[in-house]
Amino acid sequence: MNTYLRQVWVIVWKDLVLEMRSRERIASMGAFAVLAGVLFNFSIDTTSTRPQDVAAGLIWMTLIFGGLLGVGRTFHLEAQDGALQGVLMSPTPKDALFLAKTAANFVLLYVVSLLVLGVFGLFFGLDLGPNLGWVVLVLGVGALGFVALVTLFAAVSTGTNMGETLLPVLVFPLLVPMVIYGVGTTTRLINGRPFDEVEGNVRMLGAFALAAVAAGAVLFRYVVED
Amino acid sequence: MSTAGMRRGGTALTLLGLLGLITLYWMAFFWVPTEVNQGVVQRIFYIHVPAAWTSFLAIGFAALASGMYLWLRDERLDRAALCAIEGGLVFATLVLTTGPLWGKIAWGTYWTWEPRLTLTLLLWFIFIGYFMVRNATEDPEKGKRFAAVVAIVGAIDIPFIHLSVVWFRSLHPEPVVARPDGPTLPGDMLLTLLFGVLVFTVLFFGLFLFRYAVEGLRAEADLRARSAA
Amino acid sequence: MKKSITRALPLAVLALAVTAGAVVAQESAGMPQATRLAEQNLRPYWHVFAAYALVILVVGGWAVSIARRLKAIEERLVD
Repeated sequence: MNTYLRQVWVIVWKDLVLEMRSRERIASMGAFAVLAGVLFNFSIDTTSTRPQDVAAGLIWMTLIFGGLLGVGRTFHLEAQDGALQGVLMSPTPKDALFLAKTAANFVLLYVVSLLVLGVFGLFFGLDLGPNLGWVVLVLGVGALGFVALVTLFAAVSTGTNMGETLLPVLVFPLLVPMVIYGVGTTTRLINGRPFDEVEGNVRMLGAFALAAVAAGAVLFRYVVED
Repeated sequence: MSTAGMRRGGTALTLLGLLGLITLYWMAFFWVPTEVNQGVVQRIFYIHVPAAWTSFLAIGFAALASGMYLWLRDERLDRAALCAIEGGLVFATLVLTTGPLWGKIAWGTYWTWEPRLTLTLLLWFIFIGYFMVRNATEDPEKGKRFAAVVAIVGAIDIPFIHLSVVWFRSLHPEPVVARPDGPTLPGDMLLTLLFGVLVFTVLFFGLFLFRYAVEGLRAEADLRARSAA
Repeated sequence: MKKSITRALPLAVLALAVTAGAVVAQESAGMPQATRLAEQNLRPYWHVFAAYALVILVVGGWAVSIARRLKAIEERLVD
């Protein structure tokens, strides 16, 4: 394994071990997701709306709000006790640092998104049948794009004096493609449509994720420099 | 170009743009024939489309200047990006107000989630985000870098937003100029529209140079204040 | 005598206004269909004028704001 990948891996491992020990972010995101599911259950009138028509939208919105809660705090802990300076001063390239942070956040958010899928499936009585695998894949692709974009802007908003309140203003307009393709695809899959019908959308979601990761890897160094 | 040169250029271009604007108003009100299907309300088109073009020109220009700023770290590039974003915000506001005025007559509703209108709304919020990031940063150098990142990522995201909102729903009239089989718009209307695009572009660059000269003077004033202190 | 006139004046004005209002209301109620259609068709014109006025206001507003900032900075530089 070459040095670059090993550097990425070390930081990913460090973040995940830290998360496994403190369980700070995963606990808040998981609790948020389940409780949002409970509230959503009361916010829709099941006599006029079929749950499987709105479930996809609710799943994605829960992911976005929950993800903002957790991923938005990526640099918070480290910025507080000055550990971020230490990581930045180490010889690790900044793009490796970004990729590592994105990967660690991705693992975190993906776990939460699978939890959301399970809980909402239970709450709204969804029967995914053979499409379960595809929904799991689509959630993964969408979560990757989301995490890359939010990790970059989390670094930006941590550096401002508005902090996390600035994050939604910056990322919500940029997340529109993810919401449209993600919800559109997931709704169709939940309603039992074949995967062929949504393949183009999944590709667009993938292109969005790749562009977000690439842009973040290039631009991250300018956000954290000095 | 010196700051004084900027101001002279800005004045000349702005005056030229204003002259053009008067001509455009004359053309749009008296010269161009009324469109058959939509009637008189179609005339909004001659300012709506040029304003939209100008706001997208602004984000493209700002993203380019921001990218070059991150690379070369020349203060002038950052100032250019800031001024272009401000102009973009002005013209995007025009798109978002003239669009609904037209839509109320043509579609019977002020707002629809029509792709290009949605895209402009999101662009407007990207412009707002640019200013918020800049103003919320204590260290100005940091604010410049953050704002540059916002402009670049915004510009990269625009094609994705465009494709996705088009896929989501389309109600907007089909493109009438940029089509593979040539424009479908009758000659007089096309001429008025293209003239409108030209006038708005000239106005944008004229006021942009003016705004840029102000930023140059401000930097000079800050420098003097610092050396005096 | 003069006092009673000043007292009566507002009343007279009020009466006139009420009558005029009633006449106008009656006229518009009995307005021929064609006139009302014409009035409806004026709406697009109103929207077109509003849009063209907005361009002048917004672009002009930007120009004025730039000019004001320019003036403020020039004053700072003179000091």
